[in-house]
Amino acid sequence: MLNDQQWSQLLLSFVEEAHDLAKQAEEYLLQLEQTPTDEDAINGLFRAMHTLKGSAGLFSLTPLVNFTHHLESLLMKVREGQQALTPVLLDLLLRGLDEVNAMVELIDADSGELVVDEARHAGLIAALTSHDDSHLIPLTTIEPDTCKSFGRLDKCASCDQEAAWHISLRLQPEILGNGFDPASFLRYLSRLGDILQLELIDDALPALAEMDPESCYLGMEIDLCTTAGKAEIEDVFEFIRDFCTLRILPPNAALDDYLRLIHELPETDQKIGRILVASGLLTELELDQALRLQAADAQQPRPLGSVLVEQGMVPAQGVNAALAKQQTVREKRNQENSQIRVAAHKLDELINLVGELVISAAGAQLRAQLKGDAACIESTQTVNLHVEQIREAALKLRMIEIGDTFNRFHRVVRDVSQQLGKDIRLEIQGADTELDKAVIDRLADPLTHLVRNAIDHGIEPADQRLAAGKSAEGHLRLDAYHESGMIVIEVADDGHGLNTRRIREKAVARGLIDAQANLSDHDVQMLIFAAGFSTADNVSDLSGRGVGMDVVRSAIDALRGTIEIDSRPGEGCTFRIRLPLTLAIIDGFLISLGDDYFVIPLDMVTECLELEADQLDGAAYGYLDLRGRPLPCLSLAAHFKLREAPSKRRNIIVVSHGRQQAGLIVDHLHGELQTVIKPLGQLFQHLQGIGGSTILGSGQVALILDIPSLFRHLHTHVEASPADLRTSQPRQIAAGQQGETPCNSSAT
Amino acid sequence: MGKTILIVDDSQSMRQLVKMTLTGAGHQVIEAVDGRDALTKLTGQKINLIISDVNMPNLDGIGLVKAVKANPAYRFTPICMLTTESEQGKKAEGQAAGAKAWIVKPFQPQQLLSAVEKLAG
Repeated sequence: MLNDQQWSQLLLSFVEEAHDLAKQAEEYLLQLEQTPTDEDAINGLFRAMHTLKGSAGLFSLTPLVNFTHHLESLLMKVREGQQALTPVLLDLLLRGLDEVNAMVELIDADSGELVVDEARHAGLIAALTSHDDSHLIPLTTIEPDTCKSFGRLDKCASCDQEAAWHISLRLQPEILGNGFDPASFLRYLSRLGDILQLELIDDALPALAEMDPESCYLGMEIDLCTTAGKAEIEDVFEFIRDFCTLRILPPNAALDDYLRLIHELPETDQKIGRILVASGLLTELELDQALRLQAADAQQPRPLGSVLVEQGMVPAQGVNAALAKQQTVREKRNQENSQIRVAAHKLDELINLVGELVISAAGAQLRAQLKGDAACIESTQTVNLHVEQIREAALKLRMIEIGDTFNRFHRVVRDVSQQLGKDIRLEIQGADTELDKAVIDRLADPLTHLVRNAIDHGIEPADQRLAAGKSAEGHLRLDAYHESGMIVIEVADDGHGLNTRRIREKAVARGLIDAQANLSDHDVQMLIFAAGFSTADNVSDLSGRGVGMDVVRSAIDALRGTIEIDSRPGEGCTFRIRLPLTLAIIDGFLISLGDDYFVIPLDMVTECLELEADQLDGAAYGYLDLRGRPLPCLSLAAHFKLREAPSKRRNIIVVSHGRQQAGLIVDHLHGELQTVIKPLGQLFQHLQGIGGSTILGSGQVALILDIPSLFRHLHTHVEASPADLRTSQPRQIAAGQQGETPCNSSAT
Repeated sequence: MGKTILIVDDSQSMRQLVKMTLTGAGHQVIEAVDGRDALTKLTGQKINLIISDVNMPNLDGIGLVKAVKANPAYRFTPICMLTTESEQGKKAEGQAAGAKAWIVKPFQPQQLLSAVEKLAG
C-alpha cells in the first residue's frame, strides 16, 4: 500500500500532468482553429482528454472524470466526423479546458479530494451535452459512402481503380491435384466486395504437347473494391497460401490512410515488421514469410524493409513511413530518458553553493599568489578553471526555452483579437532560445501587456488596413534571439506605428513635459512608459487604462533589462526588450570608497572620468558638463554616509539607465569582474540603492548597486531641493579637457 | 447452390454439430462414422467436399486421405481435416498425404461455412 506521502506525491504529479495535458489540448485546439481538418491535432486533442480522464479516474476525482467525459465524447464525435469543429464549438472546448484547469487547482493536496460546486459548471456541461446531441452538423468533407473512406460500408456504387485493392495471384501447378478449385476462391473473394477487373495470366502455359491437364498454369491480376483489410483478403486464400504466390497491394487512396495509421500508432518501441502488421499493411503470414526469406539469406543479411519491398509485400512508401515512425519513437524515448524534473529550489541551492565555491576558489588563489608558491598557484588555477566550468554548467541548468511562454500567446491573441473583431495572425520565431527560468517567469506579464497593446492600439481594424494598402489580416510577431551576450525579445506588429503627435499632446496635457520642450521623436515615444500615460481614444476593456506601459517598464527594469521602441509610421511598431542571460550572475564593475567595495552592473556603465577632488566640494549632488550636456552627479560617499579616502583626484563613473545618464563619484576603480549575486537578507531588503551583495575573492563583501533606484533617488532629491541644485551647479569640469580614463567604455 | 458434403467423424455429437451447421446453410450432408465407412459411402456418389476427423477407429483420417487420393474418381475432391491443437504432428503427415485444408477444433460455425465456400464454393 502507498503511504500518505507517496500518495500526495503521486497526486502532485497528476496535477502537473493534468495541466500539461490541458495545455497540450489547448495548443491542438488553436491549431485546429487554423486548419480544422488537421487529423493529427484532432487525434492529439482526443488523446489528451482521454488520458486526463483515465488518470483522474485513478485518483477517484469523480467530478473531473465526469466533466472530461463530456469533453471526450464530444471530441469523439469530432474525430469520427459526426461533428464539425465550428468556431462555437472551439470556444466551448476552450472554456471547457479552462474549467479543467480550474478543477485541477481545486484538488486538495492533502486529502486528494475534489469538491466542486456542481452549479458552477452546470451551464458548461449543459452546453457541452446539447452540442453533443442536438447541434449535429454533419461534416461535408468526409463522405462515409465512398470507397476512399476507411470506415465500413456495404456496397459501393462509385468504384474506380484508384480505390481498389490489387491482388496478384500465381497458382502453382499442383493446386488442382490437391483438391483446390481456384474458381471457389474467386467466388469467395467476391463476397468481400466487387471484383472490378480480373485478368487471367497464361504466360506459364506450355505447348499443348507438354501440358499436363491436371496441372494449373494460371495466374490472375484482380482489382477488388472492398472495405476489408489486407488480413481479411489474405484470409480468403487461407488454404491455398502454400500453393500460390500472393501479393495484395492496397488501393492508392487507402495507402495514405495506412501511412497515416502508421503515423498514429501508439509510440512503443517496435520492430519494423510489427509496425507494418499493426497498421494492417502487412499480414502476419507475409511477415513470417519475409523473415524466413531474410534468414535464408544468412550470408548477406538484408534489412527486412528491403525484403518486403523486393517481394512486393509492402509498397516502399509504407516501409519508409514505418522507418520514420521507428525513428521518431526512438528519438522521443531518448528525449524522455534524458529529461529529469527537478524542483526549482534544489537548483537554486546548487547554484548558490557553486557561487560559494567560486568565491572560496578565488580566495585560495589569492592566498597562493601571496605566498608565491608556484606549484600552489598552478593547482589553484586549475581548480578555478574547473569551478568556472561547473558554474557555467550549473547556470545552464536553469535555462529553459522561451517557446512555451510564446505559445501561450496564441490564446491571448485569439481571444483579444476576437473580442476586438480584428483578424490577427501570430508568428513565433526563436522559440528555442533559452533563458533563465526566473526571467521567463517574470516576463510573461510584461509580454502580455505588450501583445495586448499591439492588438488593441497598434494593429488597425481591417477596413483601415485595406485603405492603407495592407492585408486585411494583421500580423503580430514574437521573436527571441541572442545579441552580444544579451537576450533580445521583440514584439512587433504591422499596424500604424506610434503617433508621436498625439503622444506629445497627451504628455503635455498630463504635465509630463513642457509644451515647449524640444524632444526627438524617440524621446516622445519613450513617454508612453511614463506612469499614468494613456493615448487610447476609448478606454477599452483590454488596455488603455494607462497602467500598462509603465508596469512593463518597471518589470523589465527589475530584470535588469532595457526596452526600446522602433516605430515606423504606417508600417508598424517593434518593442525590443534586452535582458541579461541570467539573474544569478552579473558582469560587474568593481569600485571602492575608502575600505568599502561596490559593484555596478557592467552593462549600465557608459564611461569613466577623472576630476579634481575640490571640484565637487563634498556636495552630495551636483551637475557636471559632459561634452556640453549637463550630467547629474551623485557622491556615493555622501549618499551612503561613508568616509572618503583622502585623495586629490576623484573618479566618476557615468552610468546610464534607459535614456537617463548620471555620474557616480567614487574613490577607486578596480575594473570588470564577473560575480554571483547573493540576495540581501530580509533585514536589509528595504535598503535603497543596494540590490544585492557578492563576496570577493579576498573574502570581502561587495555590495551591488541598484542603479535604477539611485536614479529615482537622484531625481526626487534634485526636484525636492532646488536650492541644492543651485549651490552645486557652478561646479563644472570640462570632461574632455581632463581626459577620459580609458579603463572602461562598454556601451549599453 | 447447396453442395454435397461427406462428414466423417466417430463422435456423433460432432457429426451432428457439423451437419446442423451445413444443412442450415443449404448443403446436403452424408455422414460416415469412420474412414472405412466413408470409403463405402463415397462409391457412386457425387461428393463436392469431404470433411474428416483425424483420429478414428478402423481407418483414421490420414488413411482415408491416402485412399481417396488413390481413387481416380475422387482424387480431385477437396478434403478438409478437422483437428485439435494437440494433433499438430498429424497435420504434417496429413498434408504429405494430400489433405491441404485444416480447421482446428474448436471452431466457430462461421469458420466451417467459409471453409466450405472457399473449397467448394
